[in-house]
Amino acid sequence: MRKVLWVMVVVALVVSSGLTGCKKKPKAGAGAGGFGDFGALGPIDGAGYGSLMNPDDLQAVASQFQPVYFEYDSAQVGSGERSKLEAIVEFMRGNPRVGLIVEGHCDERGSNEYNLALGERRAQAVRAYLIGLGIAADRIRTVSYGEEKPAAFGHDESAWRLNRRATFSLY
Amino acid sequence: MIRNVIWMMALIVGFGANSTAQDIVISRGVAKTSVDVAGVQIGNDTGSQTFLQVLKTDISRSGWLELGRAGMSDFILTGRVQFDGSTMRSTLQLSQRGSTRALLSKTYNSDSSGIRRIAHEAADDIVQAITGRRGFASAKIVMVGNRTGSKELYMSDSDGRSMYPVTADKSVSLAPRWSRDGSRIFYTSFLRGFPAIYRIDLATRQRTRISNFSGLNSGGAVSPDGKDLALILSKDGNPDLYIMRLDDGALTRLTTTPGAVEASPSWSPDGRQIVYVSDQAGNPNLFVISRSGGSPRQITTRNRQNVAPDWGPHGEIVYASLIGRRFQICVINPQTGEIRQITNDNNADHEDPSWAPNGRHIACAKTSQFRSKVYLIDSMGDAPILLTDYDGDWFSPKWSP
Repeated sequence: MRKVLWVMVVVALVVSSGLTGCKKKPKAGAGAGGFGDFGALGPIDGAGYGSLMNPDDLQAVASQFQPVYFEYDSAQVGSGERSKLEAIVEFMRGNPRVGLIVEGHCDERGSNEYNLALGERRAQAVRAYLIGLGIAADRIRTVSYGEEKPAAFGHDESAWRLNRRATFSLY
Repeated sequence: MIRNVIWMMALIVGFGANSTAQDIVISRGVAKTSVDVAGVQIGNDTGSQTFLQVLKTDISRSGWLELGRAGMSDFILTGRVQFDGSTMRSTLQLSQRGSTRALLSKTYNSDSSGIRRIAHEAADDIVQAITGRRGFASAKIVMVGNRTGSKELYMSDSDGRSMYPVTADKSVSLAPRWSRDGSRIFYTSFLRGFPAIYRIDLATRQRTRISNFSGLNSGGAVSPDGKDLALILSKDGNPDLYIMRLDDGALTRLTTTPGAVEASPSWSPDGRQIVYVSDQAGNPNLFVISRSGGSPRQITTRNRQNVAPDWGPHGEIVYASLIGRRFQICVINPQTGEIRQITNDNNADHEDPSWAPNGRHIACAKTSQFRSKVYLIDSMGDAPILLTDYDGDWFSPKWSP
């Protein structure tokens, strides 16, 4: 029964959100209707929870995961940051139906578009590290927010170092 | 003559005193041609006054022209501007001083909503008639603004006026770019949670999602022939440069740089090459690659970061370079490697430059005290002009073709 439900949720997710776009050709006419009629589905972390865990519980769990911080202009997961990933690995092993989204972020300095790419690279570096620790690749997605979602709003190194980070959500 | 000398002195003071150790080539000052508009008779209504004010502002911002005094100017504009309550009718004649031959004789009509538009048109016609060069007064600027609390796309006239929102998604909209025919905007949006590339058709106000692969989709830049989209995707690993054929979505991967990222593609005017940002050599720098692939050529090496290139109509690439602690606007000739530093401001960052269609002026985001506004910059030395005198921050301006 759980299995059937799970499949239904996944199918609903795939059909409604088009999140598995990697094999699809771009859909012409997706925007029919003009400006403004798009955001109905909302962000992915509100879009559905395939794990059948309570969404609030998942969010509560994810909020306990420590952000991984990065040096300026770097996407390397520093040795001091790696221990933060152990709690994530432990949770993922114990909850094999849960998927993880690694979110890459940058500080506000520099090119917006370069920061989008750098944030993706940071998220991928964390993802690769988690895969190395045994989490299946197809359970980990990445998203880069570049400099668009700062955690700290100051304009000096004390804020910037908190913004060069990878954060986590579960689905 | 005196005007010439003053002009050159201004350039020397403005640039010479702050020269850094770079190979900076100072733009040579050009004397301006004066236009006397005192002979244009306008009605008492605000529409007519707006027309003349916009026209005068455009002339003084054109780079090549300035407003001159009656009887002492190189060119004389005469005519009549009338608004009868429903139609604006502007008849203008332009002639050289001492000549009766009209270089331009034209009537511009519009309803009350088109007054600024026809003033911009008239300004471009005057620039064309006197200099033989294309003006930019009629061009539009698409940009990103956050005045509502979310980053949305906005569109303005060349003077920053007539601003209107293009998107109202309460999401994050970034990095707009024009199609070469000016009919479409491509941009990156987080509308559905993940960054995807969308296309907006300005005439029909239709929006279409163009690229939505897993991971990053950004930087959509249309080729000059309108058939291909250069874009950054991370579906096969870290972010790399691809070309998507727009009619069927077929992808060609242009870069393979393990451990490095690519960003910000911009096409050469002939569509044969693409300039983009890569940190494959460590810090982000500009590279040029053939649209058919092959080995990229690194064209910048100095300074910690060289980012956000825009390949202009005359073949020069404008970009932002981190010089000391600040981003400054620079222009590079990709053939010779010669670099000109355009801005030199220790108190502000200048980022995301975009060539105006005249290949001389530049719009960019200037950030000082952590507030960002869009400025008009002249690559030949005229003073910068604030274009977005509005609440909120303004970023990533892109001139229409």
